Amino acid sequence: MTQLTSIDFLVIFAYLAVTMAIGLWIGSYVRSGSDFFLAGRSLPWWAVGMSLVVTDMGGTDLIGLGGDAYRYGIVMGNFEWIGCVPAMIVGGFVFIPHLWRCRVTTIPEYLERRFNVQLRSAVAACWLFFMACNLGVMLLASARFMNSLAGWDLSVCILVTALLVGIYTWAGGLGAVVYTDVMQGFVVIGGCILFVVIGIFELGGIEPLTDKVHVVARLKDRDDIRQREQSMSPQELAAFRAKNHQRRFQTESEHLSLVLPVDTRSPAPWPAVLFGLCFIVGPGYWIGNQCMVQRALGAKSEYEAKASYIYGALIKNLIPFLVAIPGLIALVKFPEIGHGRADEALGRLVGALLPTGLRGAFVAAFLAALMSSVDSYLNSATSLYVNDFYRRFYRPSADEGQMLAVGRWTTIGFVAWGIYFAFQLMEFPVGIYTIFQTLASFFVGPTFAVLLAGMLSRSASGDAAVTGFYAGVLTSLGLFGLNQPGICHWLGLKPLFQIGQPYLYYSIWSFVVAMLFIVVFSYFLRSDPPEKTCYAIGGIGPEGGPA
Amino acid sequence: MTFLHWIGDALRQLFEQVPLSVAKWLLIGQFLALIFWVVQLRSSETTPQDHQSKWYEDLKIWAWLALMMQIVIYGIF
Repeated sequence: MTQLTSIDFLVIFAYLAVTMAIGLWIGSYVRSGSDFFLAGRSLPWWAVGMSLVVTDMGGTDLIGLGGDAYRYGIVMGNFEWIGCVPAMIVGGFVFIPHLWRCRVTTIPEYLERRFNVQLRSAVAACWLFFMACNLGVMLLASARFMNSLAGWDLSVCILVTALLVGIYTWAGGLGAVVYTDVMQGFVVIGGCILFVVIGIFELGGIEPLTDKVHVVARLKDRDDIRQREQSMSPQELAAFRAKNHQRRFQTESEHLSLVLPVDTRSPAPWPAVLFGLCFIVGPGYWIGNQCMVQRALGAKSEYEAKASYIYGALIKNLIPFLVAIPGLIALVKFPEIGHGRADEALGRLVGALLPTGLRGAFVAAFLAALMSSVDSYLNSATSLYVNDFYRRFYRPSADEGQMLAVGRWTTIGFVAWGIYFAFQLMEFPVGIYTIFQTLASFFVGPTFAVLLAGMLSRSASGDAAVTGFYAGVLTSLGLFGLNQPGICHWLGLKPLFQIGQPYLYYSIWSFVVAMLFIVVFSYFLRSDPPEKTCYAIGGIGPEGGPA
Repeated sequence: MTFLHWIGDALRQLFEQVPLSVAKWLLIGQFLALIFWVVQLRSSETTPQDHQSKWYEDLKIWAWLALMMQIVIYGIF
């Protein structure tokens, strides 16, 4: 634990003051629900692109991915590279322009136009649950980081962060979120580059860093193999030793490889990376997550919506170097932290590496990353509730002024919920990034399946899509259950998956099951009328009417 | 041992047969496939339609650059 000096506090205060000023200034221009939820469709590509990157990077990535890089190595960079870049490019050229043409505010709204209201409600409820939980996870992530860095009280950290973000999101809606994200993006990327450069210099350069990572990680690998062997039967032990004979004597660890074998302990063996992350989780996240898509829907033209995703993909190439390398530096500097407390590695590294003033700059960068995620999830959760439940079922005739008022009250409600949930999570021992990814894996696969079927096929029917979505969610929940040690012990089975956190596999199978149900049921059920099927890609013209 | 365990074991054994160098080329291969797809996109899909576009406004160039950076990264690690 390190102390922040008055210079550090001055830097942090200056950052927070500028953020609040931008957010409240944008808020003074918000006059309607459309301004609040889509910034009046006036956002430029560069602001949306930076907002996409910094929202996705967020506090969970900075701490959680940094912590997982400490545990498993650079393989976690796959989540930012192959999990984002291909999906953003395909999404930017194919799916996002179509959603922008449809002039929708939320993804579930599109699903009602293409399929039916049951699917809209089911998808909105699932993503609302995911976003509400995430608010608590993100607030707790920041509090733990500040606690490990400066010893600040967890409760105070949660309350202060939530209130600061809540105020400018309440005032300015999506516009405030996106433009503060741009400023936060420069602070985050600048702060992280500074941090990585200082860390590499401290260790004598890139080559000494990689050499030391191999040495430390190999020692940890051997401890891990020894522990695994102790829990095996004689037959399992013989098979394991035969298979791992070569790996015992290699001098390089897996910590600096992006492609890991099937029996790795990390959550990212190569089949999960290729079939889960690249083909399902990445596209599902960048096309089906309201939090990401909403800002592109607020772009001022179809071209600007496309450009924002391509620009974001370009910046994404840089991000893993900024979040994973600090985890590797921490592994070399503090090998004694251990897997269980790896999320604390980054906080300790900041205290050890950075001098006064720069420490405050990095804390500001971290707060910027965290606030950019919290404000986005806050605004998107509000959009889902107000558009897909309040306006759809309770007050269909609500005017723009009423939508703005309800949006602001809902924002306050979600801030209160986020604070409450963060307090409930305090005693939860699992890694922060794991909680986030596991929650996402329940819904990403089925959502991507219904979106893909709806956009690419006119023969997919609404009833089949609803059935497929429910079947997919139940599949991921079932697989999650069958992998819990308590449930397996009760059923007398061994866990279904061998890797530690198999959330990528949940996504693969939930997508496959959902798509199977959609295809089979669509074959037997009557297809939707033309006013529904025209919302498939190619059915809507540039002006928003039928092509 | 359930049916699900049987499927899991069968797939695990199948993927264990694939050398890591081949797996790496599968990952790089999909970036190459995307590059070919991006290159064949029509200009009307990748440039602004409301004015005469400059060369740097063609999104193809930037998408191509992002994918090439991915190939280099996966080639190194």
